[in-house]
Amino acid sequence: MRAAEHSQAMHFQARAGEKVRNPVLQRALQKAKPLFVGKRAKGIAALAEDGLAFEPLRAACEEIRNRVLADLDVWLAIFEERAKATGAEVLWARDGDEICDLVIDVARRHGVTKAAKSKSMLSEEAHLNEALAAAGIRPVETDLGEYIVQLAGETPSHIIAPAVHKTIDEVEALFAQEHGRPPEPRTSADIPAMTREARQVLRQHFLSAEMGITGANFLIAETGTASLVTNEGNGRMVTTLPKVHVVITGIEKIVPTLEDFATLMRLLPRSATGQTISNYVSLLTGTKRPGEYDGPEKTVFILVDNGRAALLGSAYQDMLRCIRCGACMNHCPVYFSLGGHAYGWVYPGPMGSVLTPLYTGIENALDLPHASTGCNQCGSVCPVRIPLPKLMHRLREEQVERGLRPWSESFGLKAWAWLAGKPKLYRWFARRASRYLNWLADDSGRIRVFGLAPGWTAGRDLAAPQGKTFHELYAARKRA
Amino acid sequence: MRLALYVTCLVDLMRPSVGFAALRLLEAAGGEVFVPEGQTCCGQPAWNAGNRALAVDLAKKAIGELEGYDYVVIPSGSCADQIRNVYPQLLADDADWAPRATALAARARELTEFLAEVRPLAQMPAEFAGSVTYHDSCKGLRGLGIKQQPRDLLMKVRGLDLQEMPDCEECCGFGGAFSVKYGEVSTQIVDRKCASIATVGADAVVGGDLGCLMNIEGRLRRRGDEKTRVLHIAEVLAGGDGA
Repeated sequence: MRAAEHSQAMHFQARAGEKVRNPVLQRALQKAKPLFVGKRAKGIAALAEDGLAFEPLRAACEEIRNRVLADLDVWLAIFEERAKATGAEVLWARDGDEICDLVIDVARRHGVTKAAKSKSMLSEEAHLNEALAAAGIRPVETDLGEYIVQLAGETPSHIIAPAVHKTIDEVEALFAQEHGRPPEPRTSADIPAMTREARQVLRQHFLSAEMGITGANFLIAETGTASLVTNEGNGRMVTTLPKVHVVITGIEKIVPTLEDFATLMRLLPRSATGQTISNYVSLLTGTKRPGEYDGPEKTVFILVDNGRAALLGSAYQDMLRCIRCGACMNHCPVYFSLGGHAYGWVYPGPMGSVLTPLYTGIENALDLPHASTGCNQCGSVCPVRIPLPKLMHRLREEQVERGLRPWSESFGLKAWAWLAGKPKLYRWFARRASRYLNWLADDSGRIRVFGLAPGWTAGRDLAAPQGKTFHELYAARKRA
Repeated sequence: MRLALYVTCLVDLMRPSVGFAALRLLEAAGGEVFVPEGQTCCGQPAWNAGNRALAVDLAKKAIGELEGYDYVVIPSGSCADQIRNVYPQLLADDADWAPRATALAARARELTEFLAEVRPLAQMPAEFAGSVTYHDSCKGLRGLGIKQQPRDLLMKVRGLDLQEMPDCEECCGFGGAFSVKYGEVSTQIVDRKCASIATVGADAVVGGDLGCLMNIEGRLRRRGDEKTRVLHIAEVLAGGDGA
């Protein structure tokens, strides 16, 4: 599986340690977290102004997504037929390699030397930028965050805020170098000026690129339309100025009707950034028609499987409802301790902890389903009610069923469960454990280093047990 | 009213005062309280690790011990969640055990739920001279919908001043085995909780789950906070510092 070759998910433990100890990253994350959480909370609260409530609305969104997934083949066929009727070409890609081959083929057919890209996580799944560069086509990321990440030679660390891990000083250093000027001291007050500078550079690319590449937030079956939900306006540039527009999106992104799209849009921007609606919502249908001034001469849809179809009808089908809002990671205590790169593949946070093992192989991402406290902060904010902790739990079970857990863990659990099944022996053992822990403790009743669980005492003390166990004391009390 | 107290394995080993405090509270509420013999652990560690077979064995064991009471009361949101929400789904396909799991789930209550809803007391037996801030544990809050009950109960303690900390619903980073397997990440998360606690400067942080409390206490002390007391809500409500 090609995806697995690029995944670093098996190095989660080591990467997590690095990320926790990186003070610059930690500063960036601590700044971003309250913004994400606070803005979403406001956006959701504002539903009341429209006479709406979160729970019924997300039940409606869940139903729409479930309806599509129940007959995905049918909806895809309808989309294909309608999209073709608008003059678009519809291509199908099984995996990342096929995406790259198809895009390069389209580019060659149209003499493309530069492709301007709006944000597309699927192009990350395919490592499209590398493939384009190798084929002599220059990819230019035009989403501000993606642009920063591309300049840094990195990958996005968040699905809607790709450069959330970067501080303003790091961005300034990249801009100064790329834009050929000396670096200046910057504060957040300079963000508009820095953004303007990037826009001036990017404008040249919009005008000179022969191809625009985007993802799609949704594909609307009844009209053969791609919808784009963006805030920076680069999506509009990329889809109207270049002569060729390529839309790369997963096969699960279909919604049946414009009405359904409108319902989902009640929650997508609110869940993502807290906005009641994003600055730009584009509905792109077909190519430039006679008499129109802008729009591409050629529109190509590349509809991608890359592991999705295999989830249909499986224990993980709920995951395909995902509308990529990022709320799960924005409310995840683990994500905000590490940032997205620790997760090792395209998608971070809780949705990544489910998707990475499913798309790159369960055996290639053993840590991710366990990298969760089970707090369900993700599941309770998900606008399409994906039970993320339940899916992570199912992956844990599958690891056990397939014998993928370490021998020591399996043995330890079995020994413990055996003991827990023998109350008398368990009581004896608990009494001994209590004495042992007290023996380990210092004068203030604290254990500072605990060899059996060094992970605990590396950052925390462990208060020694009070003394005798409850059952020991209770038995004595009953005898008295 | 015949009540079974499920002590939980952590309380048994680490902090029996919580179990005795719960016992006193249930007696004050007018229950005839039993501590079913043979109880050990609800099996949550096996379930969390993905080991379904072991979790099923321990679920059956617990069901056998806890059946036949009017209520089973548990001084822990996460163990209560295991019994109420996980047992029925674990045993759903077992014709003999599914009804027993469902019946037990219907009678299982987390301690503050029971004290606030089933047998409300006008006044708590305890006094508490000082301020406390309440940490909402994840399983209690998001699994069982426990939010107002502990606060209502705390307000009935004479002298107690309840002050909310920012982000009281944020996870403390415990997560059972998570706190040991991913110790550094867990520490990073509990650091944020400690910072929230510090902003209110209460005399004590109170919660309903011993796992979270051990995590919070351990980090507070390692950070050099020797002052903020870390108490289980049963201890605060029953008074006398447990014991």
